[in-house]
Amino acid sequence: MENRIAFARVAPISPKLEISHAPVWKRLGKWGGFAMLGLIYFPLLWLILLSISRNPLGGIPGDFSLEHYRALFANSEWHMPMLASLVIGVIVGLICAVAATIIGRALPALNSPGKVLFLFVIPLFVPGMSMGAALLIFTRAVLGLKLGFWSVALGHFVWAFPFALLIILVVTTRFDHRLVEAGRDLGASNWRVFWDIEFPILMPGIVSSALFGFLMSFNEVMRSIFLRGTTETMPVWSWVQAAAQQSQVPIIFSLASIVLLITLPLLCAAFWLLFVKLDKS
Amino acid sequence: MKVAVWLIVLAWFVLVIVPIIVLFAFSFFTTEQFRTVYTPTTTTWVELFSSGRWEVTLRTLRIAMTVTLIELAVGFPFALWLAKGRVGKVGRAVCLAMLTIPFFLDVSSRTIVWRAILGQSGLVNTVLMGLGLTDAPLDWLLYSEVAVLFGMVVTLFPPMVMPIYLAISLIDDTLLEASNDLGASPWQTLSRVIIPLSLPGVMAGIVFSLGPALAAWVEPGMLGGGFVNLISNSIESAYSALRYPVVAALSAFVILLLLLMLGAMYLIARRFGDPASSFRVLRG
Repeated sequence: MENRIAFARVAPISPKLEISHAPVWKRLGKWGGFAMLGLIYFPLLWLILLSISRNPLGGIPGDFSLEHYRALFANSEWHMPMLASLVIGVIVGLICAVAATIIGRALPALNSPGKVLFLFVIPLFVPGMSMGAALLIFTRAVLGLKLGFWSVALGHFVWAFPFALLIILVVTTRFDHRLVEAGRDLGASNWRVFWDIEFPILMPGIVSSALFGFLMSFNEVMRSIFLRGTTETMPVWSWVQAAAQQSQVPIIFSLASIVLLITLPLLCAAFWLLFVKLDKS
Repeated sequence: MKVAVWLIVLAWFVLVIVPIIVLFAFSFFTTEQFRTVYTPTTTTWVELFSSGRWEVTLRTLRIAMTVTLIELAVGFPFALWLAKGRVGKVGRAVCLAMLTIPFFLDVSSRTIVWRAILGQSGLVNTVLMGLGLTDAPLDWLLYSEVAVLFGMVVTLFPPMVMPIYLAISLIDDTLLEASNDLGASPWQTLSRVIIPLSLPGVMAGIVFSLGPALAAWVEPGMLGGGFVNLISNSIESAYSALRYPVVAALSAFVILLLLLMLGAMYLIARRFGDPASSFRVLRG
């Protein structure tokens, strides 16, 4: 007993254990991370502020005006790349959602889900440039195909699918299979069980994976550069314009701001749906 | 339904695995007058390092490893705090969402703004000169190796933190309590319990930030201003010259470098504990 008290005096045991008893380290970890998050999000704010400034290239926002937005809408060069990106994004999103739903439902029931899952997440480990080059050589040099929309979409699909699958797995691994059995016992056909029971429950995951597939595709640059042939997607167009002439940069700021202001609420809604609303139900 | 599953697996194999194999195969071919010569040789590989690219490779390696080390130094404590510190449910969800959202945003529009922040008349120089810390604007802030490094550190932070967070949050709290009850100091708990158990996450984080860092292209293009040539720039110029074998060899080289780093990491990790045992947890 005495020993125990002496020990407790030497090394006081906190009521609830935390990683470190030294708060300095904890604070460093916390604020270091917050600083990084700040560095990630500050440029986004700055981008929007600069896009409504008269002289965005000066570097300091001020003298606010919407003239660059007017210039953007007067300019029609970005319409085609925007359309291309939207169409490719929608196609990639839809294929991602369908394929990820099929695989995501089958995966938890497999004998060795780990190996199959690994096969599907390989593109996460291959740098975008290498994957783009690999697909380029495979389609262009080996198969001798002409590159275009389809190859860009293909490259985007390979990039977006792992994310879509991981998102679907969030809902399919939580799915209660007794519901399916109950449906069957009550005499429903396989299709009806899927449509009336499984689909509504998996819905948030399916919608999110389509949305994320769309966004991964919409914002992709590196693979598109290799696989675009002569087509231009939105980010590639901005990239080329920004690299070619400084005078185009204000328009690109405006365009990027618009895309950002549409993308951010969509993402927040998807996260809310997936992780807040689903947790409650 | 089974048919659909296997069709997708097959399609995936053709679309992902086959191109990567083809990539490696192509690196053993050569080009003559814009045509690929399909005789296996090692000429492309030998030329890869004789034509002054050695310097480019070293620079890429130096930058990529510095970036990864910085990410690890900042990311690990942050992931630890996020997973095991006393963070509220809402706070944690917000942090995780903030870490995930950047994956879905356009890298080039996020990076181009740094030009306006780090430039001669940008925010940083204006503030520094306003405070009287420097008389003339600092010109090494933009279009320099520092700028490229900085841009990469900002972009690659979430890919480092996310896997480490996942690995640490899987560690059972009772293990940490047991370690504490047995008289371990916080440092001992960290080095003998938390670090060995979080190794798979740390290794995944290193792959996710080292890979993109080795193949970084947006940052050197936007913030390097043509002064910082990395492997990606060599790949791009080989691509515009239609020299596919060189493209293949350089891309394969990046993948090999990544595998090499991972192998080295694995060996180092073995000194800390048995990394395979922590994978077993994931399997079970």
